[in-house]
Amino acid sequence: MEAELRFHMERQIEKYVQSGATREEAARRARLEFGGDEQVKEEHRDARGVSFIEILLRDVRYGFRTLSHNPGFSIVAILTLALGIGANTAIFSVVYAALIRPLPYSQPNRLITLSEVRPQEGQSTQSNTRNWVTSYPDYLDWARQSKSFESLAGFSGDSFTLHGAGESELVFAAQATINFFSTLGVKPLLGRDFAVGEDIAAGPKVAILPYGTWIRRFGGDPHIIGRSIQLDDKSVSVIGVLPREFEFAPRGNAEIWVPLHIEKDLATRRSLRWMPVIGRLAPGIMPQQAQAELNSITASLAAAYPQENGAIQVVMVPLRERIVGQVELLLLILFGAVGFVLLIACANVTNLFLVRAAGRRREFSIRAALGAGRARLISQLLVESLMLAAAGGVLGLLLAEWGTSLLIAAIPETLLTFTPFLRDAHANLAVLAFLCIAVIFTGLAFGLAPALQASHGREGEALKEETRASAGGVRARLRGALVIAEIAFCLVLLIGSALMVKSLTALLNHNPGFDTQNLLVFGVNLPDTSYPKDPDAVRFDKEFSDRLRGIPGVVGVTSNSVVPLTGNGASIRFLIEGQPVATGHENECNIRDTSNNYFSVMKIPLRAGRLFDDSADSETAPKHVMVNEAWVKRYSQGENPLGKRIKFTYSASQPYREIVGVVGNTAEAGLDSSDEASLFVPFSQDANSFITYAVRTAGNPANALSGVRSSLRVVDPQLVVIQPFTMDQIISQSPSIFLRRYPSYLIGSFAALALVLAMVGLYGLISYSVSQRTRELGIRIALGAQQADVMRLVLGEGARLTLIGVVIGLAAALGLTQLMRSLLFGVSAADPITFVSVAVVLALVAIVACYIPVRRAMSTDPSAALRYE
Amino acid sequence: MSKQQGKVLMAGKRIDLPQGTLDLLILRTLALEPQHGWAISERIHQISSDVLLIQQGSLYPALHRLERRGWIRAKWGLSENNRKAKYYELTKAGRKQLQVEEDSWKKLAAAVARVIESV
Repeated sequence: MEAELRFHMERQIEKYVQSGATREEAARRARLEFGGDEQVKEEHRDARGVSFIEILLRDVRYGFRTLSHNPGFSIVAILTLALGIGANTAIFSVVYAALIRPLPYSQPNRLITLSEVRPQEGQSTQSNTRNWVTSYPDYLDWARQSKSFESLAGFSGDSFTLHGAGESELVFAAQATINFFSTLGVKPLLGRDFAVGEDIAAGPKVAILPYGTWIRRFGGDPHIIGRSIQLDDKSVSVIGVLPREFEFAPRGNAEIWVPLHIEKDLATRRSLRWMPVIGRLAPGIMPQQAQAELNSITASLAAAYPQENGAIQVVMVPLRERIVGQVELLLLILFGAVGFVLLIACANVTNLFLVRAAGRRREFSIRAALGAGRARLISQLLVESLMLAAAGGVLGLLLAEWGTSLLIAAIPETLLTFTPFLRDAHANLAVLAFLCIAVIFTGLAFGLAPALQASHGREGEALKEETRASAGGVRARLRGALVIAEIAFCLVLLIGSALMVKSLTALLNHNPGFDTQNLLVFGVNLPDTSYPKDPDAVRFDKEFSDRLRGIPGVVGVTSNSVVPLTGNGASIRFLIEGQPVATGHENECNIRDTSNNYFSVMKIPLRAGRLFDDSADSETAPKHVMVNEAWVKRYSQGENPLGKRIKFTYSASQPYREIVGVVGNTAEAGLDSSDEASLFVPFSQDANSFITYAVRTAGNPANALSGVRSSLRVVDPQLVVIQPFTMDQIISQSPSIFLRRYPSYLIGSFAALALVLAMVGLYGLISYSVSQRTRELGIRIALGAQQADVMRLVLGEGARLTLIGVVIGLAAALGLTQLMRSLLFGVSAADPITFVSVAVVLALVAIVACYIPVRRAMSTDPSAALRYE
Repeated sequence: MSKQQGKVLMAGKRIDLPQGTLDLLILRTLALEPQHGWAISERIHQISSDVLLIQQGSLYPALHRLERRGWIRAKWGLSENNRKAKYYELTKAGRKQLQVEEDSWKKLAAAVARVIESV
């Protein structure tokens, strides 16, 4: 630029010189003509057009001035956007942590879980995907024979009393095959992995600690490697510490990892299936190939061991699915719901912008007349809306962080240990990227339409007087369409949350088959060393139960091998006398070792026959069992089973046992689980080393806990009370309840937020429409229109929008609620009562929202309106 | 057409050129051959028999405007006295635009003349 002007000036000077002037004169004259250098440069700069960054900065400054001149508008817009963007970011953090972020293992999508299933008649293999068990001998055969897996590992739960690191305490642990961590691709942070030969032998000799345990329980001891710790009565050497980011959800509560140290039975009996197996696919192998190979291995095992493996099949489920499968659908639905909220927020802000843009037409027309191109106007408006969106985004990020912490804090600790990825749901690179995308999308979404609108105005028109009502035309139609969309989205959310709440209520009211009131439940484990034989366990049980009955407030004490509603049961194979079955294809059902008063304390109804009692079912008496109704339906074809005899097939020396009673069904896994067939054996005739006690109290069951602990201490100070919970706690923490209650609150909040936003939008629209039509309404009233007519006129517009919105919303909800079908209980996804009642409620609220501006319209003073210019 | 006007010195008095006329003059001047800014203003001055004197304050903005519109194209070159100078030349679109502008100017001039002579 300067070079060009300098050149021009020099040529001019030369010209003057040539026509006779002196050099100085020529120079002075030329400079005079040029005017000030700077002013010239400025003019040129303007004409030349400035660089992109300078334009952007200018727009930003201008936008900042405009927005701060309208603080009310800006604050409302920013808050609305912050809510929408913040909610979305919060949910996205969780979705990312749970569903998108890769598991902290090497090549995690090559990790497959294997489980043996025994499909019953007519059941498919896939229906059993909750099970995840294999027998140890089968696992060894797979590891030996399979080529499609480069590595197969197994693990199980464990617990120890840890001495020497703070107070002696029962800690949860996990045991695993030697190659467990290497199969996952995890290398210890300190020390080394397990080595061959360190498993199975009597008790663990080495241990690996998770990072958290090392810090929390051992203070991050720098000399932890090689240090000895005391687990139960064994001295164990710490050989490694896991990396900080390691987590393994299925054993999320494990504080110590030891090599498998199972007893002989578990290691050698092919029919005892207990161990979950994880395999890493060999390079280049597809899952289908692995499945085919496993099928053939399974077939050969079935041929070799017809008794144990006759009906066994293998199911492969990717590891990721096991870990997040339960919550995946839920999270996606939440994400969709919160997306609706954002769209509604955008629609509201768009309407705000449209209204405001209408007021700025004069400003834009002047600028256009002064030479601003349409593109410049649009870009400047977009800069304004992006600035608002960015401000909303920053505020939203703060809201999101706070909201996510709240979300996570509301999850009960027991569930959180099995979803450790949720602890990581915080702002990270991916979340911030999402935030930026959300901000840009939002800014464009609500900025584009008004920008296109505003810059479209024909210049002369807007500069004329502005008395025209701008209620008509494209702009009003767009605003109306936005409000219709808001109402529709809102309705979908309301219906969705209503359905979830209904499911929750139905579930909570569902009768699980026993009385859940005032029950304290806990476990006791009798180690083999002190209680080697059944009579020892029976003796313990009698003494302990008697003590428990002595605790004040206790009205009933009973025990079972398993707590109902936790799904932790054992199952057993049996055959019915007179109904021979091919080897290996015996029926299988749940088995429970119950004390004689179990059914009466738990208030499970007796349907036929008799309950166990101490004399008829003692140790020495003939063997008896009881069954539940589901068992009768399944295995007795509804005939009276009393008197029939069954036999357990795991050992040839098992005696026949006579069925003496039938009881009602109880829910096993969760309140929503279907009925499972169960056999009940009196504890005195078949004891278990892990006993679950259920203590019914007159008052709050939690108060009995200290009495329970002291009773146990008196009977055997070596034993500890395991996982004491009241039945109410178990229910509220159970996944079937929690995964309905929690999302109901969330979706309910989203729906409420959406309702508020949509009604604000509707109110704003009607209100604005009324203010635009003041003149018209004044004329009508002056010409004799009654109040009712005016009301009908204005209300009619609101009613029309609401009606269209509701109809669209109902249709959309019909389609969308099908997606959440699997989460519902006791209510169909197209439940007409819910749909209709929610729609009616929404319509009523909408009418109220329209009513307020209508009142104002009706009180229009005609003369004032006519004077209004 | 731009709404900016060119300030022109006409025999001692400042007269405003009608809208867009300056653009027409520049385009016409460049129709013959590429020239640099000073040469354009000199050429117009000469051909108009010293009537139209275009100041650089109007010339360069007009040149940049035309360049932005894609009607002329700029290139640095060597001037007749061996200095570096920015040369402008017509583009194909510019030639078309020149035609358009000439036509509308002729119509305008003829109409004005008719009105004046009819009185």
